[in-house]
Amino acid sequence: MILEMKNISKSFGPVRALKDVSFDVQGGEIHGLLGENGAGKTTLMNVLAGTFPQDLGKILINGKEVFGMTPRKSNALKIRFIHQELSLCNDLKVYQNMFLGEEYNKSWRIDKRKEIDRAQEVLDSMNTGIDAALIVSDLDTAQKQLVEIARALLFESELIIMDEPTTALNSQEIEKLFSIMTALKKRGVSFIYISHKIPELFSICDRYTVLRDGAFIQTGFFRDINEHQATELLIGKRFVEARLREGRPSPVQEEIVLKASDICGLTFRNISFSLHKGEIVVFTGLQGSGTDELATSLFGATKLESGTVENRMGILDMRDIRHVMQSGIGMIPRNRKERGILPDLSIRNNNSMAFFVAKHSKLFISRKEEIQRFERSKERMEIKVSSDLDPITSLSGGNQQKVILSRWLELDSDIYVMDNPTQGIDVGAKFAIYKLVVELAEQGKSILFFTSEYPEIQQLADRCFVLYKGEVSAELSRGEFSEEMIMAYSTGTQREMQK
Amino acid sequence: MKTLTIGKESWRNLTTNYSHWLTFMLLMIVAIIVSPSFLSWNNITNQFVQGAVVGICAMGMSLIISAGMIDLSVGSSVALISALGVSVINDQHSLLLGFVFCLVAGVLVGLINGLLVTKGRIAPFIVTLATMSAWRSVINQLGQGGPFTVDKTMYASFRNIAAGRFLGIPHLMVFFIVVSIITGILMSKTKFGTYVYAIGSNQQAARLSGINVNRVKTLIFTYAGTLYGLAAFLLASRLTSIQAASAGSGYEMDAIAAVAIGGTSMDGGRGKIVGTFLGVLMLRIINTVLIMANVPPFLNGLVTGVIIIMAVLAQSRRKGK
Repeated sequence: MILEMKNISKSFGPVRALKDVSFDVQGGEIHGLLGENGAGKTTLMNVLAGTFPQDLGKILINGKEVFGMTPRKSNALKIRFIHQELSLCNDLKVYQNMFLGEEYNKSWRIDKRKEIDRAQEVLDSMNTGIDAALIVSDLDTAQKQLVEIARALLFESELIIMDEPTTALNSQEIEKLFSIMTALKKRGVSFIYISHKIPELFSICDRYTVLRDGAFIQTGFFRDINEHQATELLIGKRFVEARLREGRPSPVQEEIVLKASDICGLTFRNISFSLHKGEIVVFTGLQGSGTDELATSLFGATKLESGTVENRMGILDMRDIRHVMQSGIGMIPRNRKERGILPDLSIRNNNSMAFFVAKHSKLFISRKEEIQRFERSKERMEIKVSSDLDPITSLSGGNQQKVILSRWLELDSDIYVMDNPTQGIDVGAKFAIYKLVVELAEQGKSILFFTSEYPEIQQLADRCFVLYKGEVSAELSRGEFSEEMIMAYSTGTQREMQK
Repeated sequence: MKTLTIGKESWRNLTTNYSHWLTFMLLMIVAIIVSPSFLSWNNITNQFVQGAVVGICAMGMSLIISAGMIDLSVGSSVALISALGVSVINDQHSLLLGFVFCLVAGVLVGLINGLLVTKGRIAPFIVTLATMSAWRSVINQLGQGGPFTVDKTMYASFRNIAAGRFLGIPHLMVFFIVVSIITGILMSKTKFGTYVYAIGSNQQAARLSGINVNRVKTLIFTYAGTLYGLAAFLLASRLTSIQAASAGSGYEMDAIAAVAIGGTSMDGGRGKIVGTFLGVLMLRIINTVLIMANVPPFLNGLVTGVIIIMAVLAQSRRKGK
């Protein structure tokens, strides 16, 4: 299949997600689509898969223009989109998920036998060892990922879009996936491969296309560039060379502000660490490594199974978020859309919310005070807004995130838990946040920063904890860590090598 | 070109933020055309008197819906409390005791709903469906199907609460307006109001901002319950005889309708108390216009139904853009 997308533009309200992007894929090609979070990759693929229509531009398949793309039409054209966040129904069986919407029928009922056999055949051809009759909720994340891929193979698709397919896979599973992809490529199947992991892209893809902030940057062959050039294309030269912490004295002080002893949750075990005043500690790990729950647990939003967290006021009651807030811990949650913003509320109220909860003690809200509060935030964070009474959803992702950050800065906490605070925002806003984090540390605040992106670790961390299967697999100081090392510790290969 | 787009934008702003005012005006004009005497003081106060009891309930419903929940138990709760209230007044010969009883009973009724929703983790729809059925059954059993009637000794003084006037304004109208103002201030000027909208908007984010979601939800049901208690007291005073099987029936429908027509989002998060206030009046106006236009009373529900659908459709279309 030959796919061409020409001059595609797409806006969501005031946010221009795609600006005049052109893109093509040839038959039997694996095409790497590169870009940071929020660069527009997923939006472009959603346009192709018919999730929503483009505002401008056209899609051509084998030279013929396709009008009014819908998910059904795109399936009929043998295009399959494997989404980043798994889109399986947990309560259905594996084969039911694979055939969802396109069941085999025997007169009026589903031909269950035939579906199971066919599904098993595909799963076996991939050497997955997954039983097609299992309930999906019994599978682990990597297995679910493989089921998604098997689903795409089921209908002999000609173009498979993979959005970050390897986030939950370890290195052997990745190798297995790549060999399946290579075999399919020989049969003429094309792939669009979206990933942040540069080495992976170099090993599997033929050509690349880079998007940045919704705009087309460059396209070409991977064999013509090296990894450093790829990173530059990805985030822009200015930012590759920026070294926020170099040449500045480390603000880390002796005083310990937070001490976690042997804390356990459902997905992590026996984690202990001390956080110093002015220190930035990064936690990283793959999906399912326990970092998500650890972050919310340290804020009291998820129950700790055992262990204690103490600060200078003694052992904290981690079951009460408000108490944790008043003890001087603030948290910027991950996944802004689900956990951060209050979409129907004004920017002003979104900004004031944490202050209301923890510190506001008057009967009535003073309009004047809240306006002043927002003006302060706006200045400090350089938030671009027309009126603070507009709903927060009228802002771009980066500005929304700045409002969420300033919501917490208003509390003037000693410790900030930041759970993937740069998810889905543009490069400029990301760097504004890195700068802010470094400044906070210099002011004597302490930061627990959760991220899965190496550039962030490298820019920020004084120390870095790597989690693997719920346990700390490495504690590395600044100067000790490298991308390869962190990758090895977080996929468990380091541990396997030592054995 | 530019002025045109700005014009469009501000027009949309106007229709979004003040749509309930526009609809209200429109209905008023229709009413005045159908009956020129509609604007007489007598008729206006009459509309308020008719709408007051449901209107007070609708204020509670407004909070519940703004937080993304629902309450189907309004009618049964009001019936139960007012029937018991009448019994207390007959028994104790004290209006004050009756009044206090109604409010306390309201608090309890609300608390039960609230605790089942938060501690029991049951969907509000199911909880209030169950309490709706339960309270109606309790009052039917207590009354054995018959009415609860105020004794002769208390009749005149009790009836005066609902029927009396203050400076020419009916007491019921005063109660309704005062409750609306208090609720309006609660929702727009206090943290509590902001929390209610925050929970209705995104519960997860509200919790992660430190809001004690369960506590706020329980308080919402308790506030609403208190208003049901007040409404029940006024209903008993107005009717002086509470029919076990039929008292308060359809109140949930009218209260939800008033909130919907008033522009509160049925998904929670957005809404204004003034909208609900106008919504209550609009329901009354529609009712009166239909009677004056000689529409058969059986079709009343049909018209109200159509209007609710239109109100919610208008909302979802706005949201889509």
